[in-house]
Amino acid sequence: MSEEHSEDPTIVVKSSRFGDLTVPADSVIELPTGLIGFSRTQRFIMLEHKPPFSWLQSIDEPELAFVIVDGGEFGEEYVVEPPFGDKDIDLQEDDDFAVLVIITVRPDPKETTANLKAPVFVNLRNKKGVQIIFDHPALSTRFPLWAQDSQEGQEPSADSLQVGVDASSASENDSSSTEQD
Amino acid sequence: MLILTRKPGESVYLGDNVKITVVEIKGHQIRLGIDAPRDLRIYREEIYEQIREENRQAADTGTTSQGLDRLSSTWKGKSGGTSKVGKLSTSVPVEAGDGAKSSEEHKPTGDRAEKSDVVARRKKRSE
Repeated sequence: MSEEHSEDPTIVVKSSRFGDLTVPADSVIELPTGLIGFSRTQRFIMLEHKPPFSWLQSIDEPELAFVIVDGGEFGEEYVVEPPFGDKDIDLQEDDDFAVLVIITVRPDPKETTANLKAPVFVNLRNKKGVQIIFDHPALSTRFPLWAQDSQEGQEPSADSLQVGVDASSASENDSSSTEQD
Repeated sequence: MLILTRKPGESVYLGDNVKITVVEIKGHQIRLGIDAPRDLRIYREEIYEQIREENRQAADTGTTSQGLDRLSSTWKGKSGGTSKVGKLSTSVPVEAGDGAKSSEEHKPTGDRAEKSDVVARRKKRSE
């Protein structure tokens, strides 16, 4: 790996958390529209932390980094439709893609949550990504990673995902809704 | 802000590709129909704001990763196969803030060969 490393172009990413990192230039993940509320930060790299966690580190802003979990960790109940045909990431039906779920870390680990409502799809063919919101009551912005009613005592797991249960979204109590016909 | 008045059944074009129609008015509620390309993302404002706020809170994660370490040590995920996120990761060891171990100390299962394939593949840039 070290021999190839000196021939492939690299870039230096400055990170407030991890220091200066030299990474292959083609490991850059580009989000043409950034993230929602962060439209100007479009270039990122992915850094593995302890499983299942990784960091999506901004190249443009050294202090900006998001904790990520692969959407597959939430099992088959976590069903989100990939944005095939999306122009930002040019996702075709036979493209392999990753579903990145953004984690909100809170000081108490038991309150750490996953945003299942707005994952980031990354086309593995071109490393372009986009954050998509699913306006569906079953998908929470704050899915707890720490199972609440495990019988063995409290343990973190993805088991508490239940379709149809959403504690966080207040909007479904009013009569406004989104329908598709 | 451009203000237009429409009656039920009347529409507004946004550019050439988006049409908004007032479908029905019932009491205080207005049903809007939107014809747009499939990849145009349309969100209710409160949902959009909710995600923006959650992203903001997620970005506020400090360097303390002890919480993550604790979650990691007893994590029971459902992913049996190869993590797709692993295919995106650079093979660079990281140490975050206080006490987090570098990623070299835990090998992702079975990903190493695929990861180097991804790193070696030429990235297509469309500028």
